[in-house]
Amino acid sequence: MEIEEKQEKQDRSFLRIAMWIIPAFLLCLSVLMILYTPVFQDYAYKLKSMYTSKPLFEGKSPEAIENLMVKSRRNILSTEEKLEKLKPVKPYIVVNTAENRFSLRNVNGDTIRTGVCSTGKNELLIAGNKRIVFKTPKGIFTVRNKQQNRPWIKPDWAFIEDGLPIPSARSAERIDYSTLGDYALEIGNGYMLHGTLYQRFLGLPVTHGCVRLGDKDLEVIYNTLSKGSKVYIY
Amino acid sequence: MKNKIAFWIITVILTAGVVYIAYTTVFQPVFTKNPLPRTVSHVSEERKKVGKDEVLIPDEDTTSTSDAVNSTKDVQIKLLELRRKEVLLRSRLVLGSEDSTYLVLDLINNLAVLELKGIPLHECHIQHVTISNSIKMYPADALLNWMSEPFALRNVDATIPKISFIEKIAPKDTLEANKMVTEPKESKLGDVFLVLDFERNLRLIISQSEQPDLEGEKIISNLRQKFNKIEISRSIKALTKFNREPVKPQIEIIIPKMDATILYKSLPLNPRMILKM
Repeated sequence: MEIEEKQEKQDRSFLRIAMWIIPAFLLCLSVLMILYTPVFQDYAYKLKSMYTSKPLFEGKSPEAIENLMVKSRRNILSTEEKLEKLKPVKPYIVVNTAENRFSLRNVNGDTIRTGVCSTGKNELLIAGNKRIVFKTPKGIFTVRNKQQNRPWIKPDWAFIEDGLPIPSARSAERIDYSTLGDYALEIGNGYMLHGTLYQRFLGLPVTHGCVRLGDKDLEVIYNTLSKGSKVYIY
Repeated sequence: MKNKIAFWIITVILTAGVVYIAYTTVFQPVFTKNPLPRTVSHVSEERKKVGKDEVLIPDEDTTSTSDAVNSTKDVQIKLLELRRKEVLLRSRLVLGSEDSTYLVLDLINNLAVLELKGIPLHECHIQHVTISNSIKMYPADALLNWMSEPFALRNVDATIPKISFIEKIAPKDTLEANKMVTEPKESKLGDVFLVLDFERNLRLIISQSEQPDLEGEKIISNLRQKFNKIEISRSIKALTKFNREPVKPQIEIIIPKMDATILYKSLPLNPRMILKM
């Protein structure tokens, strides 16, 4: 009799717990489904794929598949030919402005030389109403001209930045023979790949937009690239 | 006895609730809606760019239902491979004929490549990839159609600025200019977490492999929470409106912080992406 009573008591307490656990579980499941719908949907897609998977190219005869393969091979060949035409026909240089590094490559895309350089300092110089941005432009450029010992004709911003009065356009004060180093390669809009007096800053973004290179690297680049060579800057 | 009845009533009501929520938020969107919309082929545009022959035209015309016989699996797989290569090359040609940089996400070789005019500029190894089941479980030939054209970016949320400039007031004289001269230093990289929403419902998440600092962690978690909240509110709305859209299929890649910064800052404002998988 006592044992039966004990058993009944145990059953009751179990029922009492179950009465709480089951609704609480269902409630939690509902909340979880709303909070983590993406996770549940992700599993549901797995479930769906088990029931809805179809064979590849359903309904295609072997002849149709063969035709498609021929057509595909032909398209691949002609697209590859067209892609090949996009490639530079001369050695080119790729400049990474984020890491201040360059990579000189031959026509096959193989790297000939890599090294550090300096690119634009991403600065906005405010001079009265004037806003001058010092950044290296990104994109594809072409070497327009190559020169040895090229003097730099200082633009207005060089004087503004130094707190100097701006001389007349043809003033001798604008000519600087040392800044650009031994070689300079023009890529348009006043931007150049050139040497530097500040070799210790190579690898840092310090320029006004041009790409500065170390003496040895610049010499190799000058001798490898020619007029018309591509310059990729990113 | 009363308790038992109340228990059963509550259990039945809650079970019905769970079934209702599961149906409206999970099963109905998954089983009735397509998360990967088909590519709308810009045939005339493509023809101008890649030539008349090369356009990948849907191939319903090449077969009739009468000769519909299943061919061997390896031939089908071979065709799929060829079509995959064809689609990728065609996309590269289309983007290569433009003057903008674009991203090639190669999930077969785990590479993210920044390209310009068909030239790989920057290549980075993807350390980890997570792809939604809605993409992984999609039929291979239909998936090929979905990624047959480059994806154009629609919206971006990022923890780092795309362009940043240091503002400097021009000095009045040489004395002030000399005072302003400071030794240049390497700038500190901010923690990177990018959410790129592309057309055709694709979301690309780029995370850095390095552990973010405390501030970065907070910013990243705020951005993640923002997207979670959107999904929660959509699920709640679905309970009354019964019209929940499927969760965006997403690809999450983990790459080094420097590479993530380079990719984000080097891509144009409205970049396009080629997906290889």
